[in-house]
Parts: sequence; structure tokens; C-alpha cells
Amino acid sequence: MKQLKTKLWILACVLFVIGTPFLALGASYYEGKTLTIVVGYKPGGGYDRYARLLAKYLPKHLPGNPTVVIQNMPGANSIIGANHIYSVAKPDGLTIGTFNNALATAQLTKVEGVKFDLTKFAWLGSLASDAVIMVIRSDLPYKTVDDMRKAKEIVIGTTGPGSSTHDFPSILKEFTGLNFKLVPGYSSSADVMLAIERKEVDGRAGSYDSIKPFIDRGLVRPVIRNRISAPGIEKLPVDEELTKDPKGRAIMAVNAAPTKIYRPYVAPPGTPADVVKILRSAFVSVTKDTEFLAEAKKSKMTIDYALPEEALKVVREVLNQPPEMAQEIGKYIKFGE
Amino acid sequence: MKSVFNLRFLLALAVAIIAGYALYASLYWPFRTALFPRVIGVPLLALSLVEMLLCLVSAEKAREGHAVDFEMTMDVDPLVARKRTLAIFSWTLGFMALILLFGFTLAVPLFVFLYLKLAGKEGWVLSLSMTALSWLTMEGLFNRLLHLPFPEGWLFSLWT
Amino acid sequence: MLDAFVQGLLVVLQWQTFLVMLLGIVLGFWVGLLPGLGGSTTLALMLPFIYKMTPVEAFAFLLGMHSVVSTTGDITSVLFGVPGEGTTAATILDGHAMAKKGEAGRALGAALMSSLVGALVGAFALALAIPVVRPLVLTFGAPELFMLAVVGIAFISSLSGQGGRALLRGFLAGLLGLLIALVGQDPQAGVQRFTFSQLYLWGGLDLIPVLVGLFAVPEIVDLAVRGTSIAGELPQGNLGKGAWEGVKDTFRHFWLTIRCSLIGTFIGIIPGLGGGVAQWIAYGHAVQAARDSKEREGFGKGDVRGVLGPGAANNSKEGGALIPTIAFGVPGSSAMAILLGAFFLQGLAPGPDMLDKHLTLTFSMVWTMVIANIITVATSFFFLNQLAKLTLVRGAVLIPFILFLAFIGSYTSNNHLGDLIVFLFFGFLGYFMIRCNWPRAPLVLGFVLGKIAENNFYISTIRYGSSWLLRPVVLILVLLTLIVIVYPAIRLGKRRSAPSEKTA
Repeated sequence: MKQLKTKLWILACVLFVIGTPFLALGASYYEGKTLTIVVGYKPGGGYDRYARLLAKYLPKHLPGNPTVVIQNMPGANSIIGANHIYSVAKPDGLTIGTFNNALATAQLTKVEGVKFDLTKFAWLGSLASDAVIMVIRSDLPYKTVDDMRKAKEIVIGTTGPGSSTHDFPSILKEFTGLNFKLVPGYSSSADVMLAIERKEVDGRAGSYDSIKPFIDRGLVRPVIRNRISAPGIEKLPVDEELTKDPKGRAIMAVNAAPTKIYRPYVAPPGTPADVVKILRSAFVSVTKDTEFLAEAKKSKMTIDYALPEEALKVVREVLNQPPEMAQEIGKYIKFGE
Repeated sequence: MKSVFNLRFLLALAVAIIAGYALYASLYWPFRTALFPRVIGVPLLALSLVEMLLCLVSAEKAREGHAVDFEMTMDVDPLVARKRTLAIFSWTLGFMALILLFGFTLAVPLFVFLYLKLAGKEGWVLSLSMTALSWLTMEGLFNRLLHLPFPEGWLFSLWT
Repeated sequence: MLDAFVQGLLVVLQWQTFLVMLLGIVLGFWVGLLPGLGGSTTLALMLPFIYKMTPVEAFAFLLGMHSVVSTTGDITSVLFGVPGEGTTAATILDGHAMAKKGEAGRALGAALMSSLVGALVGAFALALAIPVVRPLVLTFGAPELFMLAVVGIAFISSLSGQGGRALLRGFLAGLLGLLIALVGQDPQAGVQRFTFSQLYLWGGLDLIPVLVGLFAVPEIVDLAVRGTSIAGELPQGNLGKGAWEGVKDTFRHFWLTIRCSLIGTFIGIIPGLGGGVAQWIAYGHAVQAARDSKEREGFGKGDVRGVLGPGAANNSKEGGALIPTIAFGVPGSSAMAILLGAFFLQGLAPGPDMLDKHLTLTFSMVWTMVIANIITVATSFFFLNQLAKLTLVRGAVLIPFILFLAFIGSYTSNNHLGDLIVFLFFGFLGYFMIRCNWPRAPLVLGFVLGKIAENNFYISTIRYGSSWLLRPVVLILVLLTLIVIVYPAIRLGKRRSAPSEKTA
């Protein structure tokens, strides 16, 4: 009897010693705690909506089922938020963040105020990719790019340098010889859409996801896309194919690259590796969660998860451009609000 | 009266300086960027110089006419008014300092308590209950419910 | 269409929808009251909750909340001089001034009743405009928007006060406001203007910290200096009965209230003008209703018409703003931008379909706005007397509370310490402006219209060269600008000649 008791005790001790690390990191790490997602934009925008959807389903996939809350830190097109996650947020796994995918370009072109190094973040992946396309009003006679080349002038409305509405056409104009007349100053891309309806402008560029409802409605017709493809626009001519200038191609490639990781998520640099592992597996499993995907679909948010390694690869691709290239890029892709 | 016209003069001067700076900065900008700042800056500078001149030349308050806005109360003795104005400005800036040092969540109840006790000379019961109420609002509404990001007070980041 | 009209009402009155709308109303009541709890932010926070609701319930909830915010925001503005919402700042000028004269009840009554009238006009306009909305919105392009901004700026002359000196200062304030609006990144060349290397300033200055600083701080200083309660040393009799007086005022100046509601609706319909503008133009128009220079000078010091105008306009503009949102998917205000998210969440696409297939849903929105406002105003009337009593509380007790609200209200703009610095800066500026007899309203007007003017000017010139100046609506608006500038002078000129004839 005594022997059995001893054996049981030894067994218990052994289990305890082996099991504790798993218990500690697994179930009890997030137990009773709150995970904060810092969003670099105000409530209501695209990044915010993705984050809130994530916040709703992530707890189930994290051991300990923590509460997940959102904190908005808008400003300077999410540079303020990114700076915060980089140097102010504690690297204890209780804070993660999301910001503009184009920050890679901002870091490359040494935009003033950037205080982070994207490669040093603990990457968690990206929830979606997005294609940038150019559309023109359906009632215009141009059906192909060649038609457009013959046109005297195509008026493109934009929201100003530093947004995809402006940079995409501006690069096209410079390198493909299309006669675009850029009209900046619209307060939002929705206003540009209205201007198209008013026949004030002929077309615009922007994210495929946000323009899709208008294509479906028949208001506009897509004509060009960047190298990221998406269902429905695979056959469109790619901007890089429209120019023979290698410099132009390189700039377009750099402009397009970050859209592959359109909704990036990171943890602060220095977050312990085992915690990052938990977070990463949580991301992988939440993006497979059928309820999550269903709600995303209903809210018209595409989910197209990119693994952390892929995300980091894209970032490095942009950042490893030689300095002369960086300067050229800086001329066409201005970073802005 | 003299102090009044000095203040008006200073405000006009400040605005003139702002206009001047705007015009100066616009020299370095491309045409379109600079157009509106100049179109606004030139009349702003001109008018503020006119105002400065008028402040120096005629200090007649009665003839000025009234702005479509409220006016500071005249019922209180000017010296007392000045003292109280300085006091409230100090308290406001003090509140800001408290927020910077202690972080929002602590600064608010601290300020409420200090103001009620020191400036208001209110009783303990009222002060403490208002302090508790303000702390509850900060913690309950703004922190727990809305999860507003409040930066840590400087005093606390010295520790960690 | 008529049956959709009736159907819309019935659908809102179903008990689940009604309950959910009541929930929205309660939420909206507090959101409007508390500065810093912005209507738009809260709308965004509520979005995840509507996932499981039907479209009618979802919009009853969201609109129930949202349409109430401008009404209760007026309460905070009147009682404490702190804008409860960005759209209720203009109510402070005369509303809070009345509170200081012991007429808080009357001001509240006027604000609430005019809010109700405004909401009804806005909802009515929404219902009526449905057939004509598309051509209406499509006619107003960038040139027309620029001219509208110019018309708005012309109101500076009305908001300045009497006399050459007052006019000079009004223009100084207006120009300063226009200049401040230019802070941030310029959309033409991407150059950072006046940002002093601060990331915070890239997007320009946000309206809320500026307004809260400009209006709340001088009132707080005044309260501290007086050393009394907000209502001062006056007898308490007036407060309770005052509310009814305020209601009567709304009907005494009925046409003014209606006109200001229409102004608000119109500004709401035109996407691109933004929420802050309507209340100030309505206020400017109310000032123009003054019959002589003495009355003019009474504005800003407690003329009830200064409460009626903005009170009506800030509610009617919400009805107006719903129109382009539903019909085009272009938000008429920042809150509408978030509402658009709700559309997508519900699987709806704003556009011609909403005026066609989903007409019942659209009408249910109209009814929600009507019913929500009626309920809010009716319930508020029960509390008005108690609320008005707050103006009897010792200033020293209220001040920390008001300062707290002002600080946190500004902070929630960007969740950044920069918000507080902007608040303090404009607080000092507002105080000095009052001391030096500079009107603040023109500054705000310049500030909200600056970017609209600049952006649309460039869009017009780049797109149309100079031919846009000859467009019919543009010419009409040029005429309107001249009328706005010249009208007060004519009116006063007429009055001046009449009394002198009497004395002769």
C-alpha cells in the first residue's frame, strides 16, 4: 500500500514537472488577461473592421480565452500606431497591432517620423491581400488599354499623393504613356466615386475590394490591375506589362508588393518566442474558423491569410531595394495621410 | 485701460506674426501648395497690422462695438478677476501636468480632489464622493468599457 | 411608394424593432450628453452588435442612437458651455449665455423643441427627396461645392458684429480660421504644411479639440471669475417654467426655425460639406434675422434665436446626410461613413436599389428618426427642470467636472496627447479673443470651410479650366454670396431711416 502511494506521488511529481511548462504557457498564459489589438486608424475604417472581427473570434483560439479589445491610435496614416507598437507597447504578448501595409515603402523612402524597423517586429501574418485596380466609367468608349492610349485625355480623380488612388495612376502616367489628367483633392475615395457618377472625372484607382460593388452595379469597368490577382480580374492587363522601362517596372513592383500583405498583424519586437508561437498558431487557426470566415464573407471582407514568413519576405523585398531605387520610388510614391 | 489695449495689441501682433510666418513658409512651396496660404496670409497680415495700428492710436473701448459673442463678466472687481483668472489657468495647466505625470486614470480623481479641497474649500464628504465618482467614470467608462489608450504617466515609466 | 411609406412605419412599431430602437435611444442619449463620446465613434463600436439583427432592426438601433445625439448634445452645450458633440458647438453661444442669465430652462426648451422640428423637417425632406435625390446630388460638383464654401465664408460678415471695428476683427478671425484649416498634408503636391515635423499634425487639426478649447475654456474661466453658480445670483423661479417658454419661442419664431432646418437639411444632402458647417451657417442666418443693430449685438449674449437656429440645423442635417448615403453610397457626414459599414454588414448595397427594392427599409429609417426624436424630446422634458437646476450648483463644484469632460472629450478625438495640447492652445486663444472683443464664430467658420474651399477650387480649375465659373448653379451661388454679404447692411439701413423719420 505504501509503495503504491509513493509511486503515485512520484508519478504526480513527474507529471507536474513535465506538465508545468506546457500548462504555464498554454492554458494559463492568457488566462484572465486581456489582449489588446492596436489599430493605426480611427474606428469604422477597413483596418478597424478587420481588427474588430478578429477580436470577436480570436479568444476561442487562444489558450486561456483572454478578452481581446481594440485600441485605436490614429495619425499619420498609421505611422503613429506603428511607432507605438514598436517602442512603447510592452513585448509581453498582451499587445499586438495592425497598420498600413504600405509602411514598408515609407520605411524604404525614409519618411520623416518613421521610428520603426518592420523587419524587427514579431510578425503574425496578414489577414488579406488586395489587388489595386484602375477602373473607368462604363459609358466611356475605351474598352482596352490600347483604346485608352488613343484617348486625348482621361481624367482620373484622386485623394492626393500618398494614397493608392493617386500613386497607381501617377506611376502609370509616367511610364506607360497613357494620357491621364490627375485631379487630386477629393476628401475620400467615395467622393471620387460620386464624381465619376457626376461625370466630373472619368475613372479612379483603388482597392479592388472597395470598388467591387460599383463594378457589380455596372457603374465602372476595370481596365488595369497590379500584379496581385483576385477572382474576377485575373485577365486584366498588369501594369508592369504595359511599360518597357525597367525602372518603371521596378517601381510598380515595389508599389504592388505590400498589397499582398494588406492587413498585417505584428507583435512588438522582443516578444518572447514561445508567446509569438502561441499567437501565430492562433492566427492560423482563426483564419480557418468557419464562423469567422462566414461573418467575414457577409461583411464583404475577404480573408486570404499570409503566413508570417511570407509577410516578412514581402517586407524584406521592398526594403532591400538599393538606395538609388529608393530615391526614385520616393519621387512617385509619397507617403501621406 | 492701458492693460486692456496692451492685450488687444498683443493679440493682433501675434496674429500678424502667424500670418508673416505663413507667408514666409509658402516661399518654399510649389505654386499650388502656396496659393491659398498666400491668398489668406496677405489680407490676414494687412488686417492685423491695421488692427495693431488702431489699438495704438485709439484706445476707446466704448466705441468699438460688440462682437457677436459673450463678454467676460464686468461685475467682479478687476483685481479679484485677475487673480481668479490666473488661478483657473494655473489649475488647468496643472491638470495637464498631472495627466502627463500620473497618466489620465489617476490624474482625474487626483485633480478633482485637489481642486475641490484647495480651490473650492469644499467639505470632505463632497470632495471624496466626487473624487470617487470621477474615478469610477474614468476607470469604468473610459478604461474598461471603451478601452481608450492612456499613456503611462512619466512618473511610472521612470520605475520600469 | 405610399405603401412603402406606411409599411416603413408599421415595421418600426413591431415590438422587437421598437425595443432595439429604444436601446439605441438610451445609448444615444448618453453619447450626445458626454463630450468626447462622439456619435461616430460609438456608431463604429456598435457595428459588431448588429451582425445578428435583421436590416430593419439594425438600422432602427443605429439610427435610433444616432439621431438622438444631436439633440442631447445641445443640452450639454447649453448647461455647461462644453460642446456635447462637434455639431452642437454653436448652441453654446446663445444657449449657455441664457443659462448664465438664469434662463437655462428656457434655452433647453428651445434647443430641444427646435431639435425636434429640425429632425422632423430632415426626415420629411428625406422622404420627399427620394424621387429627386439623384439629379439633385449629381448637379452639385466641385465648382458648386467651392461656391457653397464661399457662401459660407460670406456669413462671416453677419457673425462679426456691428461697426467697422467689429467687422475688421470678424475678418481677422475668419482668415485665421481659414489659415489654420490648411495645416496638414496638401493634397496637390503632398507637401507638409505647418506641421513642424509633428506626425500628429499630418492630417490637420481635428474639429473637436479646437471647438472644446475655443468654447469651453473661456466659459470655465468666466465661471471661475464670477465665483458663483452658472446662473449667477438670480432668483430661482425662472428655471422650471422656462422650458415651456422655450417651446413657445420655437413657435414664435417658427419660420426662422423652419428656414434653419432647411439650411441644415440642404447642407446635409450635399456630400463634402461635413457636419460642422450646418450649425454655423444656420446661426449666421439667425443673426441676420435681427432687426436692428441693438438686436444684433444681443446675439452671443442670450438671444433665443441663436439657440433655435443651430438647434434645428444640427438635427435636420442628419436627415439630409442620410440621403446621399443611401442613394449613392457616399457618406454625407462622418457618422454616415460608418453607417455605410453597417449597410455592407447587412449585405446591402447603397445605391438605386435602396430607393427601389428596399424602399420599405428606407422609409423605416425615416420613421426611426422621427420616432426616436419624439421619444427623446418628450422624455427629456421630464428631466429638464432637474437638469436646469445644475446651473444653480456652485461653480467650484462644477469646474473640475467640466474640465474633466473637456480634457477627456478632446482626448478621444485621436487618443493622442496632441489633442490635449491643441485643446489648451485653442483654449488660450479663445480666452484672449473674448478679452479683446474678437468674435469666435468666424474663426470656426473659416476653419471648417477652409479645406473644402481649397480642394474644390483645385478640382474645378484642373478639371474645367476656367469654364466652371459660368455654370448656372455657380452663378446663382455667386449671387447668393452677394446677398448674404449685403443683406444685413440693407436691413439695418432701412431700420435706421425709419426711426429717424419718427423723431424728425
